[in-house]
Amino acid sequence: MLESLLAGVEVALRVDTFVWISGGLLLGMLMGALPGFTTSMGMSVLVPISFLVGDPLIGIPFLIGVYKGGIYGGSVPAILISMPGTGASIATVFDGHELTKQGKSRKALEMSLFASAISDFFSDIFTLVMIIPVAAVVLGFGPPEIAAVMFLSLVVIAVTATGPVIKGLIMLGLGVWVGFVGADPFSAMARYTFGTAELYDGFHLIPMLIGLFALPEIFNAVKEGDTPGARVASFVGERLRMAEFRKSIRTIVRSTVLGSSIGIVPGLGQPIAAMMGYIAAKNSSSHPETYGKGELDGVAGAEAANNAVNGPTMVPLLTLGIPGDAVTALLLGAFMMQGLRPGPTLLSSSGDIVFGILIAMVLANALFVVIGYLTIPFFARVVTIKKSLLIPVTIMLAFAGTYLARANPFDIVTLIGFGLIGIAAREAKFDVAPMVMGFILGRELEYTFGQTLALAGDNWVRFALTERLGMTAVLVATPIIGILLGRRMHRFRVRALERERIEAA
Amino acid sequence: MISIWRGVILSTALLLPAIALSVVEAQERFPNKPITLITPYAAGGSSDLTARVFTTYLRKYLGQPMLIRLVPGQAGQKGTLEATQAAPDGYTLVYTDNYRDQLHRFTFRIDKYDTNQDLVSVARINYGEIGVIVRADGPYQTWADIENAARANPSQIKLSHSGLWAALFVPAQHMMQIMGLQFRMVPYRGGGPAKAALMAGDVDFSMAFPATIAADIEAGLVRVLATAGPERIMEGVPSFVEIGLPPTTGYMHRVVMGPRGIPEERLAILRRAIAELQSDEAYLATMRSLGENTEYLDGLDYEKVRLEQQREYRELIESIAGQ
Repeated sequence: MLESLLAGVEVALRVDTFVWISGGLLLGMLMGALPGFTTSMGMSVLVPISFLVGDPLIGIPFLIGVYKGGIYGGSVPAILISMPGTGASIATVFDGHELTKQGKSRKALEMSLFASAISDFFSDIFTLVMIIPVAAVVLGFGPPEIAAVMFLSLVVIAVTATGPVIKGLIMLGLGVWVGFVGADPFSAMARYTFGTAELYDGFHLIPMLIGLFALPEIFNAVKEGDTPGARVASFVGERLRMAEFRKSIRTIVRSTVLGSSIGIVPGLGQPIAAMMGYIAAKNSSSHPETYGKGELDGVAGAEAANNAVNGPTMVPLLTLGIPGDAVTALLLGAFMMQGLRPGPTLLSSSGDIVFGILIAMVLANALFVVIGYLTIPFFARVVTIKKSLLIPVTIMLAFAGTYLARANPFDIVTLIGFGLIGIAAREAKFDVAPMVMGFILGRELEYTFGQTLALAGDNWVRFALTERLGMTAVLVATPIIGILLGRRMHRFRVRALERERIEAA
Repeated sequence: MISIWRGVILSTALLLPAIALSVVEAQERFPNKPITLITPYAAGGSSDLTARVFTTYLRKYLGQPMLIRLVPGQAGQKGTLEATQAAPDGYTLVYTDNYRDQLHRFTFRIDKYDTNQDLVSVARINYGEIGVIVRADGPYQTWADIENAARANPSQIKLSHSGLWAALFVPAQHMMQIMGLQFRMVPYRGGGPAKAALMAGDVDFSMAFPATIAADIEAGLVRVLATAGPERIMEGVPSFVEIGLPPTTGYMHRVVMGPRGIPEERLAILRRAIAELQSDEAYLATMRSLGENTEYLDGLDYEKVRLEQQREYRELIESIAGQ
């Protein structure tokens, strides 16, 4: 493992890799900075580019750049026009926009950039450190353990879904069912294909994701139309002083730790991390009353926490093939299109590439600060760009990207079909992320469960209790973890609701 | 303003014939753009590995790169289907094997394509002889140990394979059929994961092409108990014939094919390029270093082999169905 780490350093230090990361960061920040254009949408229209370049060491770091840039970029409209660019920056609005009202938008934007980049850097190091022992443990996992972990992940995603649990469950179930379409993995019998050749392989992940994430947002943007230019964004006030930054170091460290631990658990994601980071900063402050009234530390708490999620989501993704959120689901698709199947054996079979990607991810943070700092004034203006200029470009990217990926006309049908599902779900206030998780994890669960049955033979009780204690332990722990996490999420939701009510009052 | 327009018109007038000429020339030469080789296998297996080697060296003889596109899934049907639907212009080829080409027609209900009608051989790159492998620190020292254990405990001895009716599955099926044994067959996604399952102790034995496990043998992690063919290919390891199997069991022919209908002259160019590759010292040396042979066979000759295989597999399936 150490050898491939060293080999990874070598492969990561390539000029073209850094050029592409920079491009990814810029595009990601742009996508994040555009209000109403989320990171998952930006990623989904850019994923095809990553495999058109062919080389995984260019394509994947490019997408990681988009991911990082997008999560940070979302803070720009949050601060300037009180409109989170992505779900991750909901908590940045509280203090960030207050600072803008006080004419201190520059301070807020710079704090957001530095907090994001620093937490990103340390969480990426944490990822590199964590992935080696996790991969070592996971390497001992056979199909039974993986099946149990998949089941656990489904439960975690169900209880932590945003919005009502029942809606999350419905979407999760729908995703699992959609995953059944196509030939079954063991006997190659066709299921739900209606005799068509196109459905025999099942739905392809990439057009499905672009349809579910990009099209509804485009539709929404069209529906809303251009927002009147009354809310003028600006980049004004003094720059961030060192003393002010130093005061927030504790908060950044706390949020980095929080965000990293949230990132390693699939299904929680940046919005939760940002809220928790913000609440934790406020609770441990000596002057909690200033939060929500333009406190720089609040911006740091939220922004450090959401960016710290990015790196650690790669741990379950790469070692088990479990994507933590919509964006990592897209990364999973990108890995697979490059012929790299995330799972227990990925690190031993393609260790140099994986470590190359992870190291490029760490080094990307240096570019992050530089590019971010130079482009703040630009993105501050992008916030007010006319949507009517952007929507056609995005539509073009979504359709062309889908088709170019495999040159398969049926992918366009898939794109439009899932686009309609996504639009309907959005109108009915259903989150599509659990559906994607259900789709990916359901197929994996089916396969590993089938393998487990083949391994177990007839006497599966003895198999579970004597040969596979690991699997049994995970299965026993699943309801406990589910209930505890569910309660916690419930309390958290209640608290967030109260906040909103107080704020509204 | 006028002078600008004049310049534009003049340069266009000069450029157009040049562009037209280059287009005509480009159309005449084959290949004038990269060729896609669909490999319906998981990354890291023996087919992926050999494909990467020969496509690297073939560039010199084709004048264009041959790009590998991994399309694993559905026991290779996904990639094969894609190849059969591709335009027969010589720019899309597929890397396949005798099981996918001739056996799967009997084992899966494939109604989307018929390899005999839809695919034509360009060349056989080489063949692999499968071997029976166990963990070096496991209890099985010889093939007889496994055979006896399987006889004593029917359906208890576990075998990891790379997917239904694929390279590791078919020889095991032959064994069960001919020796009257019953193994418990556990599917994995490709040869790599199947080997990982053996190493983790999830299964009792597995199969592999010696080339893909050369490093494991050297490190003393894996023991080979028998290899396919009538002759021994590894020192001290009995051949399949010695343990009582027919001489053709466990051979995997790795073949480049293309959609039927590729113009004859293009097919000839492709076949010639692969034939020329056989005298490339660097290619031969790399294949040797991987433990792969370079038993090349021209497409025309391989077409005859295909017919024999079809007959043999039909017999195997009929004898299984007859039980």
